[in-house]
Amino acid sequence: MSRTAHGPDIWLVVLGSIILLAWWLLARNSGDLMMSAFCSSNTLWALPLSVRFDLALMLVSPAQIASGSALMIAAMMLPLIIAPLRHVRDRSFARQRTRATILFAAGYGVVWMIAAVVLQLIAFVARWAAPAPLLCFGLALVTAILWQVSPTKQWCLNRCHRRPHLAAFGAAADRDAFDFGLTNGASCAGSCWALMLLTLLIGQGQISGMIAVTLFVFAERLESPARLKWRWRAPSRALRIAVAQARMRLTTARAAEHVVTPVDDSVFGRTLCRIMI
Amino acid sequence: MAYTRKNVWELGGDWADPILWYARGVKAIKARALSEPTGWRFYAAIHGIDQDLWRQLGYLSSGDAMPSSGDIETYWNQCQHGSWYFLPWHRGYLIAFEAVVRDAVVKLGGPSDWALPYWNYFKPNQDALPPAFASANWPDGEGDNPLYVPQRYGPNNDGNVYVPVNMINLNTLGDPDFSGVASGGSPGFGGVNTGFSHSGQVHGGIETQPHDWIHGLVGGGDPQSNLPGLMSDPDTAGLDPIFWLHHANIDRLWEVWRKNPTSHVDPTDANWVNGPLVVGGGTFVLPMPGGVSWTYTPGQMSDLSQLNYTYDDVSPPSATPAVVARLERLGVPLETANALARSTAMAGPKTVELLGANNESLRLIGAEAGTSVTLDAAVQRKVSTNLETAGAAGRPAPDRIFLNLENVRGLNDATAFSIYINLPEGEDPARHPELLAGSIALFGVRKATLADGEHAGDGLTFVFEITHIIDAMHLAGALNVSQLRVRLVPIKPVPEAAQISIGRISIFRQSS
Repeated sequence: MSRTAHGPDIWLVVLGSIILLAWWLLARNSGDLMMSAFCSSNTLWALPLSVRFDLALMLVSPAQIASGSALMIAAMMLPLIIAPLRHVRDRSFARQRTRATILFAAGYGVVWMIAAVVLQLIAFVARWAAPAPLLCFGLALVTAILWQVSPTKQWCLNRCHRRPHLAAFGAAADRDAFDFGLTNGASCAGSCWALMLLTLLIGQGQISGMIAVTLFVFAERLESPARLKWRWRAPSRALRIAVAQARMRLTTARAAEHVVTPVDDSVFGRTLCRIMI
Repeated sequence: MAYTRKNVWELGGDWADPILWYARGVKAIKARALSEPTGWRFYAAIHGIDQDLWRQLGYLSSGDAMPSSGDIETYWNQCQHGSWYFLPWHRGYLIAFEAVVRDAVVKLGGPSDWALPYWNYFKPNQDALPPAFASANWPDGEGDNPLYVPQRYGPNNDGNVYVPVNMINLNTLGDPDFSGVASGGSPGFGGVNTGFSHSGQVHGGIETQPHDWIHGLVGGGDPQSNLPGLMSDPDTAGLDPIFWLHHANIDRLWEVWRKNPTSHVDPTDANWVNGPLVVGGGTFVLPMPGGVSWTYTPGQMSDLSQLNYTYDDVSPPSATPAVVARLERLGVPLETANALARSTAMAGPKTVELLGANNESLRLIGAEAGTSVTLDAAVQRKVSTNLETAGAAGRPAPDRIFLNLENVRGLNDATAFSIYINLPEGEDPARHPELLAGSIALFGVRKATLADGEHAGDGLTFVFEITHIIDAMHLAGALNVSQLRVRLVPIKPVPEAAQISIGRISIFRQSS
């Protein structure tokens, strides 16, 4: 039984469109939008920091940094809010779902915008402190690996799964939706900051790196909450889903050779949606 | 040979042969080491194990050799709760357990057609714990009856184990859908579509009532140590021999639902049929006699005739399907009601929307707690209009209404309470069964409250159909109210230490 009687969820279509648009813009304009692109320009690193910073702001304005950050968040992080948004919408009055969705997204976006700007500055300083791009990237990679195996990372990841109760009426409903966006955004930023920083320092091939990180953090979110301890967390569930679904579809296809049965092309997508809920 | 599971109260005596052989088999299995896959404790750990709790209850000691890490990884902590896999996983669990006991029984010289009895607490005068489980002695007077466990405290925590029949019901048998939703509407007869979930947040219809309720009431808790009874906690429940008779009854009720009426069907979705493996979860796998393991899927658990066993009674509690009875109450002619019931059974997706909610989270301490659920006027009008036109030509089946207890948290799984709607102040709840929304035991709440557990500390959400109460208000012309009062009445006072809280109480409408 699905939630609605008619057609696909419009909000999911809108969200998916925003995500695709963000990726398209990032791919088209990545060289112009982010300070990290400036940072990857090796010829400027011999200059003093203050000069470089001024130059950075001349070449990439704060507005461009902000819009670049927003695009990055929309492309990489919006896929992660499908499940909490589903919770917000399910627990709100039907006529207030759009409002609650926007408020949640606003809270989530505020946290991530702050985090993204801070990460851009950290990336800038890191490149200044360790001008050899490879060294800089290596340090970020070690930091990311250490963070990934830490119990603190698991603590953040567990809190990404929280689905709090929400007020239904009036200002309290608005506040709860926004607050949930804030706390979910904070947990998400806490969980993903190290990998995001890595994408800012990757230099050439940044888009590919961003896609890889997006897939990784999405797969990571499919894992259940777990006890806090130092350990490597391979997001193997996504792989298992892919293998199992592929095997199942193959079996269905083989069976269809004998019995003509329509194959449900949306089964994998529906499965992902359900387990994200 | 097809095995027949029979009512434990109708075997012909307190210690009739099937129960006597069950006791002998259990004794043999209990003698096996923890590390033996067909041992008693190993089998209980397949359902769930909390090693600290087991130690505190005396079921695990430093002298126990643990199974191999491979066996633990493969078999332990498999139980499916809050999931549409609840029924099929437990059916396989029963089949495998029954095979292990039967193997032990046969080796002891017992009958090769031995089958697990079931405890049907719904039948008149069968609400008490079957006597063979209530005594520490064998029928010949020896004092090591393996069916008896001291950690079984009953509804009043005084060791008197029975099921208060006024607090259990079979309403879920009227749910036309096996699977449901976690968005406030019906969780379905069998549960919510989930991935591999050791414990999901929303329990299905049969799981909430009577399954959870019986666990909590039979197990209870030790008033001195505050430790739970074995049946009260999913991580200890399988240690109690009555667990298996209770689950045999739940399994029987699945078959009752499937047969009455025949429009009740199990899911055909490939993700249910093939089991959690196809959504990235684990495999259902259990140890069997002879050192072999058995792997199964939910799809293989549907048809009893393929599973080589049956029940002696799968008759419905009422001859009239619940959907038809409801439509008749609403004034729909029988013929139209029957037609609508058939279309309801075949109906596709439903729309679920919030109808109302209370304003603040609620703590449950002491003898009762209460709150008011404010209804949204616009949604309420939709419900009224829908009910007024029930049965009219071209109209869909009337709305169903559900009360949700969201984010229920706490530390005591044995906490059990009933929920009443619009119970007048000062009135004895027992005198108003028509206002009873439902009764629950918080089976699994302790684990669901752990911030770094599988539920991320969100607790559990319980869903009760209150359509009958709303229908009655509608028929009495009393539905045009802005609030509904909700009273929670625990079966016994809830100590503050249990820390029971309910995040939000809400009401949803579900329409076709």
